[in-house]
Amino acid sequence: DCDDGEMVIKFSHVTNTDRHPKGIAASLLQERVNEEMDGTACMEVYPNSTLYNDDQVLEAMLQGDVQMAAPSLSKFEQFTKVFRIFDLPFMFNNIEAVDAFQASDAGQDMLESMARRGLLGLGFWHNGMKQMSANKPLIEPSDAEGLKFRVQASEVLKAQMSAMGASPQPMAFSEVYGALQTGVVDGQENTWSNIYGQKFFEVQDGITETNHGVLDYLVVTNVDWWDGLDEDVRDQLSTILAEVTETRNTESYNVNQEAKQAIIDAGGTVRELDASQREAWVEAMKPVWEQFVEDVGQENIDAAQEMNAQVSGS
Amino acid sequence: MDVVILFAMVIGLMLIGVPIAVSLGFSSILFLLVLSDTSLSSIAQSFYQAMAGHYTLLAIPFFILASSFMSTGGVAQRIIRFSIALVGHLPGGLAIAGVFACMLFAALSGSSPATVVAIGSIVIAGMRQVGYSRDFAAGVIANAGTLGILIPPSIVMVVYASATDVSVGRMFLAGVIPGIMAGTMLMTTIYVMARMRNLPKGDWLGWGEVFESGADAVWGLLLIVIILGGIYGGIFTPTEAAAVAAVYAFLIACFVYRDMGPLAGRDGAPNTPLWRKPQALVTAFFHRDTRDTLFEAGKLTITLMFIIANALILKHVLTDEQIPQQIAGAMINAGFGAVMFLVIVNVILLIGGQFMEPSGLIVIVAPLVFPIAIELGIDPIHLGIIMVVNMEIGMITPPVGLNLFVTSGVAGMPMMRVVKAALPFLAVLFVFLIMVTYIPVLSTWLPTTFMGPELITN
Amino acid sequence: MSHTDPHHRGGMHRFVDELEETVIAVILGAMTIITFINVVLRYGFNTGLIWGLEAVSFLFAWLVLFGVSYAVKKTANLGVDAVLNIVPRGTRRVLSLIAAAVCVAYAFLLLKGAWDYWANFANLPQTTGRWFPTGFEEMGRTSYRGWYEVVDIPFPEWLRWIQPVMNEGMDYEKLPRFIPYVILPVGALMLLIRFVQASWRIWHGRDESLIVSHEAEDDVRDVAHMNRED
Ligand code: NA
Ligand code: NA
Repeated sequence: DCDDGEMVIKFSHVTNTDRHPKGIAASLLQERVNEEMDGTACMEVYPNSTLYNDDQVLEAMLQGDVQMAAPSLSKFEQFTKVFRIFDLPFMFNNIEAVDAFQASDAGQDMLESMARRGLLGLGFWHNGMKQMSANKPLIEPSDAEGLKFRVQASEVLKAQMSAMGASPQPMAFSEVYGALQTGVVDGQENTWSNIYGQKFFEVQDGITETNHGVLDYLVVTNVDWWDGLDEDVRDQLSTILAEVTETRNTESYNVNQEAKQAIIDAGGTVRELDASQREAWVEAMKPVWEQFVEDVGQENIDAAQEMNAQVSGS
Repeated sequence: MDVVILFAMVIGLMLIGVPIAVSLGFSSILFLLVLSDTSLSSIAQSFYQAMAGHYTLLAIPFFILASSFMSTGGVAQRIIRFSIALVGHLPGGLAIAGVFACMLFAALSGSSPATVVAIGSIVIAGMRQVGYSRDFAAGVIANAGTLGILIPPSIVMVVYASATDVSVGRMFLAGVIPGIMAGTMLMTTIYVMARMRNLPKGDWLGWGEVFESGADAVWGLLLIVIILGGIYGGIFTPTEAAAVAAVYAFLIACFVYRDMGPLAGRDGAPNTPLWRKPQALVTAFFHRDTRDTLFEAGKLTITLMFIIANALILKHVLTDEQIPQQIAGAMINAGFGAVMFLVIVNVILLIGGQFMEPSGLIVIVAPLVFPIAIELGIDPIHLGIIMVVNMEIGMITPPVGLNLFVTSGVAGMPMMRVVKAALPFLAVLFVFLIMVTYIPVLSTWLPTTFMGPELITN
Repeated sequence: MSHTDPHHRGGMHRFVDELEETVIAVILGAMTIITFINVVLRYGFNTGLIWGLEAVSFLFAWLVLFGVSYAVKKTANLGVDAVLNIVPRGTRRVLSLIAAAVCVAYAFLLLKGAWDYWANFANLPQTTGRWFPTGFEEMGRTSYRGWYEVVDIPFPEWLRWIQPVMNEGMDYEKLPRFIPYVILPVGALMLLIRFVQASWRIWHGRDESLIVSHEAEDDVRDVAHMNRED
């Protein structure tokens, strides 16, 4: 509970507090703010969409009814199109390349891309790299032809599925398990930790390790509220947030590897692609980039590719 | 303490005649304005999102619409005829047929009052003609009508699923066995009473009548097959199932039964076959009957959603003040086990049911008790069925209850006489409640068999 | 509980009723058809109306927000009349008037909230004051939200003319949010008007309360003759 005189920071998110990467990060942030900024600020976390879901929370933030949230990047479509770069298939080779890009000038500029719309990005939180699953083996891109895939509502992901000859189906996350089980949709794409946490592997033929995209969250705040904070308060918050981000992002790789292992241990099928198979997927999906160059900026694509080269070179 | 004042205010306002929806909304708004820094605009947002942001609740208008087409379309008569053909010859036959018809109609309709009106209006008159007392007839129907929310589809289950994020499909499956059980218990009770009191029985009309009436009723009964089959067969989500059911009910009512729409005979004239008037395929969509049915279903949706939307504002207050966590903490610290907890839930719902429309009550109570139930290891589907059965009983317990009101209107009897008439059967439902509460497998076996074990993802 | 229906007076009233009833029917019909078509498209043709779900969600909100004032006009909102039915007539009148005042206050607060919520989406100022509007706020740099679009519903070509007014001349890809949200202030205003009228009816003794005790009242009235006490 917050004491009188403390500034209340409401953080609303949509997952649990102790198992989901975002929920864990938010809990850690809350713990540190309430300990280190005691007497000045007090963070209240509202998990499980109890206060707002991802679609409502940004409206509420502009309105000043909530101060922090961490929606997935595809929820910012109405504010800016630059985050589409993270959805573009095979833009990043691995999570290290994503880290390097986000730390670069190109990545840091993206945090401020929505300032004129009233939002300010404070940092990227990883869920992880996305894998693909379906009710039949996915080895070649043509295996996905004619299948119905649940995707997040995103133009890029719709285009990506169309490029594979699959049909994209937007659907609430909570309905995906049932829809996969009964065959309303045939497949989905997600991170290891989500596939394990939601038990999607139980109702799919197998999961193909494609690492074809990133599922990331943006910690975001109201730009007016942020600018109105005392400078020392703002600095302290920034510092704590940066440290929490660093800790949890490093940990997220392990969380996903553990989830992958847990899936295998539970009897799920995991398929890996060899270099030539992977190349076929890249070939099939890369044309999608061209449709979105204008949205994400050629310079950002170049920067991302540079990071891929740097990371694999080192 | 704050929360006690809040609930006292809600109840106080209801008792002086403020609509339920406004009592909930007004009390919640005052609380948010006084206790938190939430703006009025966020309340407006909650209100809008009650509809636009709750995909599951969309099933409500569609199920109401399906039920309206079915009630308008004379399905009730066909179901009753089939029920009488099947069990009318037993001792107490017409009463047993009334319960059986309520069970079948419950499989088409998502609401209990609708079931009482559709079946009760016909069956109560029929029972009196063959020599049952009005009280007995009313008591039977008031009770059996409550099955409307237990046998799927069910509006109350949709609301529960939406409030707790469990699957609607699971809830529907979970209601099947308890629904059949409750119906069977009521029918058995009537049978025993009939043997003791020598109640009238009808004639056996032969298998020919069973098949003929069955074939006539089957178009209506196929609705539940479409709903459950569609959901489990992977054709559509529960919300879509509700919409498909509505379209199906419209087609059956207009073109197969032809009791409404352009092919219906007016003033006793026979219905027109479609081949004599093929343009009906188009005109049915714009026919006055279609508009009126859509409007009636829309109006009921509006009054229910007005309550649910305001109940969601109250839920927003409770969340904002972190009340569920406080209550959960207090209960768990007090060392309550699962049994004690379920007794408390039963009592809360029975009291709450005196004032509140069932779906609104679920919206408020579910988030309060759900986290505790999970903590205590109670299956969320089982909890949902317990809550639904409590709602059923709340509908027929004095001083107020939805089914008591409706039955008193349908049977043309004063409320207090209906209360007395319903009592013997109410005892049966209480026994049933205890069984459902303490034998979880009754609720969980079917969904687990068909859909695998329940996962708690939150 | 029965009361004489005071609402059927004259052609104008009937016309307005007819209009409201038809709008309610058409919205629900559209919701059903869109959802149904989407099932057919997905199951039969492996495709679908991407905007279908969002459109149906908005129509659902329109149905309720448009219709709730109609429910007030027709005294169709559910309530508890157990107390009202046992108190003396005079007490009942006083209680009903207090209840009516609560309803008016509720609708007024909802209207202020609805305006404040919608206004910025339409590039208009919110009202100041926490409870009671004391004026209009000065527009800040982030108060203009006319650019804010919905997720899936495409922008209709015939509305392009609003772009210069609402979006600094930039193209909308999707429907701007101020359009679906406009039903909030409109619906809340209609609700306020209907509650004021209902209070007026109670004050003048033309109506006794604001509520019905259960949802099936009309249906029960239709079948009541079948079992009337003889
Ligand atoms: Na039912
Ligand atoms: Na009751």
